[in-house]
Amino acid sequence: MRAVLARYGFLLIIAGFFAFFSLYNPAFLTLGNQMNMVEGSAVLLILALGMTLVVALGGIDLSVGIAFDMGAAFAVVALKEYDASWQVACLVGVLGGVGVGVLNAILIVGLKVSPFMATLGTFFIGSSVQRIFTNGGGPISHRRMPQEYRDLAVGDVFGIPTEIIIAAVVLILYFIFLERSILGKRVHAIGLQRSAANVAGIPVRKYMFVAFIIASATCAIGGLIGSANIRMFTPLAGFSYLLDAIAAVFIGASIHPKGRPNVIGTLIGVLFLGMIGNGLNLMGLNFNLKDALSGLILVGALALAVGQKRLR
Amino acid sequence: MTAAASPLRRVLDALPITVFVLLFIYLSVNSNSFLSLPTLELILKQAVPTVLVSLGLATVIIAGGDDVVSGGIDLSIPATAIICAAIVADQLTNREATLIWGLVLAFGAAGVIGVVNAGLVVWVRMTPLLATLATSVAVVGVTKVITESRRIGVTDPTIVFIRDGQIAGIAAGVVLTAIVALAFWHLVHRTRWGMNLQATGGSRDAAQISGIATNRFVVQSFLLAAFTGWIACTFVLARGSGSSPGSEENLLLEMVLATFLGAAFSPRRVVTVWGAVLGAVLVSALSVGFISIGVNVFWTGCIKGALILLVVASAAAGRAQ
Repeated sequence: MRAVLARYGFLLIIAGFFAFFSLYNPAFLTLGNQMNMVEGSAVLLILALGMTLVVALGGIDLSVGIAFDMGAAFAVVALKEYDASWQVACLVGVLGGVGVGVLNAILIVGLKVSPFMATLGTFFIGSSVQRIFTNGGGPISHRRMPQEYRDLAVGDVFGIPTEIIIAAVVLILYFIFLERSILGKRVHAIGLQRSAANVAGIPVRKYMFVAFIIASATCAIGGLIGSANIRMFTPLAGFSYLLDAIAAVFIGASIHPKGRPNVIGTLIGVLFLGMIGNGLNLMGLNFNLKDALSGLILVGALALAVGQKRLR
Repeated sequence: MTAAASPLRRVLDALPITVFVLLFIYLSVNSNSFLSLPTLELILKQAVPTVLVSLGLATVIIAGGDDVVSGGIDLSIPATAIICAAIVADQLTNREATLIWGLVLAFGAAGVIGVVNAGLVVWVRMTPLLATLATSVAVVGVTKVITESRRIGVTDPTIVFIRDGQIAGIAAGVVLTAIVALAFWHLVHRTRWGMNLQATGGSRDAAQISGIATNRFVVQSFLLAAFTGWIACTFVLARGSGSSPGSEENLLLEMVLATFLGAAFSPRRVVTVWGAVLGAVLVSALSVGFISIGVNVFWTGCIKGALILLVVASAAAGRAQ
């Protein structure tokens, strides 16, 4: 019994919430709503995957939201001010994220600042830059963006929303890279014991440098979808994903047999958070009450997810 | 800190202080009013809530060790201050209760938050960063339910006194905060309890072997942190003449900046109580100073971020030397 709880405790909780929401409101179980739920989780999944990579390396990235914002800002400005094609805009957006990653990487690998403080600094600077650039935080809207760019968020391929397809592609790439390749094994080795990895001949600094850039670039892809969805760049919008991304990664790590951050676990964590948000919405609760409840559920879920490891 | 510190190390050690001194000289030269008593008082008054929550954060870091991810950190103190302020404001303005009753309720809420944090960290063994980030979000959510995301004005005479009153010719808020800071300094740096607390954070294993009940100190540090949040709530109310939603974010950033900045000024580069106080005052001085020379307010985040990075990078480089 104890062993079952230790291994599957959190999955039982997910099943419990799923059953509760289905019984409370039959609309929850409909295919349309389930699709909405998955689609609504796509952007968070992309950011959480970037976070998974950094946490697997033993770090943390508080600037995922800034990378998201930069992706959106660069792409929207390229489309609006420079009349760029949608492909160029996407590329420029991802490069915006790369810029954030390079700053993090220089601070962490070059100047040996701890990832927490470095990415917190990046967060300060990135937020401030957005305020300066937008004169205090006004959105940059672009109603007449190319349909192809807009389709990143609202289009579909054979009936499957593009958002889901993009997130799935990122998911598969991350899975192959982090869980099935020798590169991923080395990333986990660095996260488990950095000095041992160094002695074993892994170029730790090079790995960390590249990983922080990849993580920020990934988050910028989320920013592209976000800006395509609302046809504007909203400054500081990425901040709202930060805690959910961290939570998803740690929920995912807690269901892993060895307690490591991992791609499939992160997917489950993201879907759990998506389900809670969607389910509470369907209960028709007051907006403020919904925020409070989802915060309390998050604390409880994290406590159970982390606590179940202790049963082993 | 060996006796034979290299010249480069000395330069790196002096870098953060030098930059601050240069900044202050720049501000004094460029602003007529920066070096005056009213400005100094304004700086201290502005620093009050940050000083108080930084005292709490410093205590948690001293008990948990200064590694930000695996050591001690409490990101929920500002959210605690804001929910306590919301509870007091709600009781005073919407329910016509007395200030004492509001404060009692708020104290209960802060206690619950402290216990939850301590439980998550000590009993569930969550990393403090994750645990307190999560409680912070939950607390902000509950605050929204209390205030319905609206501002609640407060006109209670005691709160107004903390805002405008004077004790011995000095702003009342500053005097009261100084008393709390002195009490914390005495508790953490001058008592047996404080020594055990520092030992716990210095090396958990060594402290345990020498017979210190380390878990007890970690729990107490989180309770004290919640307590500072509770004290800070009256000053938050006084500063804003009521409770305003969303003010926890700025307080959080200033608290982290002040506490780690303080560490850069301590001789051993560790987080201390007086360092946190000094850090909070310096942060406030910079904010006031930049506004007084007419720097765009949107730049302040950029400057603060760059300062954090300068301080921690030179500390890290100094360690590597």
